[in-house]
Amino acid sequence: MNSRERVLTALNHKEPDCVPYDMGGTVVTGIQAKAYSRLRTYLGLPEKEAVIIDILQQLAQVDDDVMDRLGVDFRNISPRSTASFKIELKVTPDGKYSYFHDEYQIGWRMPLDGGMYYDMFEHPLSGEITAEMVENYSLPDPLDPSRFDGLREAAIRVLEQEKRALVIGNISAGIFELYLWTRGFKDGYTDWAENPELAKKILRKYTDLQLAYWERMFEVMEGIPIDVVQMADDLAGQNSMLISPASYRRLLKPLHKEMFDYIHSKTDAKIFFHSCGAIRALIPDLIDVGVDILNPVQVSAANMDSAELKREFGKDICFWGGGVDTQNAFDESHTPDQVRADVRKRLEDFMPGGGFVFNTVHNIQGNVPPENIMAMWETLQEYGVYQK
Amino acid sequence: MDPKKIFDAVVNGNIQETQDGVNEALASNVPAEQILNEALIPAMTEVGCLFEAQEFYVPEMLVSAKAMQSGLKTLKPLLASQAKQPGGQTSPKAAFGTVKGDLHDIGKDLVVMMLEGAGFQVTNLGVDVPPEKFVEAVNDGAQIIGLSAMLTTTMLNMKAAIDALTEAGVRNKIKVIVGGAPLTQAYADHIGADGFAKDASSAVRKAKELISTLEMTHE
Repeated sequence: MNSRERVLTALNHKEPDCVPYDMGGTVVTGIQAKAYSRLRTYLGLPEKEAVIIDILQQLAQVDDDVMDRLGVDFRNISPRSTASFKIELKVTPDGKYSYFHDEYQIGWRMPLDGGMYYDMFEHPLSGEITAEMVENYSLPDPLDPSRFDGLREAAIRVLEQEKRALVIGNISAGIFELYLWTRGFKDGYTDWAENPELAKKILRKYTDLQLAYWERMFEVMEGIPIDVVQMADDLAGQNSMLISPASYRRLLKPLHKEMFDYIHSKTDAKIFFHSCGAIRALIPDLIDVGVDILNPVQVSAANMDSAELKREFGKDICFWGGGVDTQNAFDESHTPDQVRADVRKRLEDFMPGGGFVFNTVHNIQGNVPPENIMAMWETLQEYGVYQK
Repeated sequence: MDPKKIFDAVVNGNIQETQDGVNEALASNVPAEQILNEALIPAMTEVGCLFEAQEFYVPEMLVSAKAMQSGLKTLKPLLASQAKQPGGQTSPKAAFGTVKGDLHDIGKDLVVMMLEGAGFQVTNLGVDVPPEKFVEAVNDGAQIIGLSAMLTTTMLNMKAAIDALTEAGVRNKIKVIVGGAPLTQAYADHIGADGFAKDASSAVRKAKELISTLEMTHE
């Protein structure tokens, strides 16, 4: 079985030879640059500076030698920024933060001393705004040809030479995420309760942006089988949903359905949907709008027990993630034996009947030692095999 | 005064009705303390209960907190002394911040608003707060120090903040409460915090409990 066959078997809820493995197939299933550099050294691979593919999360590009060594079954292809835009990193006058503004005019900063990620500090639509200001807020051009440069050729290479499963990334974060990032969290959540019409107007704009992007991407990839389309929207916290399920159904679900229906009408690709936290209450809705794969399956969040999720939803949705509890069993304060025990439990819970892709809960964070990453991987090699 | 009207306005997150209710009560000579204690504080207690029952989520909690704050703003100059509550008790002082390296603020800000709604005087120290700022806050009178962290990578800096309080010799004078997505009671115990809360409403409960133990030890 090659990688692609293994993945497609699993995503069709059947048991392949072994559980497919992802590291770097998406920007939410990757590895942070510091952890990646240490892993390369640990594996005895040639030293090289990590290429950052996601500046916000400081994610490393997973190089071919690592993908081959670990048997990664996926290859990500994602659009680029427009040619007209280039991130300019600056340092605040007090010398404390590195910062920049992105294509959406969102300001991001990272503490220079000990920072691991960029977080938002400026939101282009924050404060008192009108519907007209939302209309006039200019978004980057989703159709700029430079976004798609070389992507078709790369996809053909994946299909013909690598035989890995092809994952196509989105142009931006999810529509609700982008809504909060551009409006600001407090204003965005306040509107959600007080001014849902304004929220709807902003969400509509981002839905149209994404639909235009996907239309062009499917044209670019015409005739090439895409295996997975990556979508996202974080909707939950550690203990509960961030917004009420009722408001999800009223304001957001129709837009998710519109986008996912469109994607399903254009391709046989499975829809991968990333949503952190305690989202169990929404899983039936996500299945309803056409989500095929749930990620990151945050098993440490409330009511997200791996065995229960598999039992309740395993027939209708695939789990991609949840392979090791990032919050409670993976970082430097845990031993490789603790990692092994957690991975074994997750495999037992998730792998029967297929419908499972192995990945950590979210990206491998900067404080995970290579010993723990390899303890995870070795456990997967040993126990992630289906009996024939 | 109809405390129920103000109570409902806050719970419903209606700023205008909250202010109308507060102004009407003041016009009929109801003392500011009474409005605070019989309407605003019980309303935020109710909001906390609704949040725990998952009838309220972040948006509803935020608009209620905004309504409460708008009422509190009107009352503040009128409270006999900002540091006094009825019965002559000093209102407890707290300082909350997100620890060094971490820039997340919404959870911490919700806790601050809920604590204000429970009658605390709270200093919001912001995000990416270095350990020495928490020591300064204690020197400025804070009895409770709240540490927030959103990330497994930054929650390590909570210990640094607690260590700084110990080194400055003020650790025993105050109580430390910690919270944030990756936090657990076990981790809170491990770094020597006095309390852990999983969300804004349990943070209020925990802060009240810690203040009462602090007052007992000082008596």
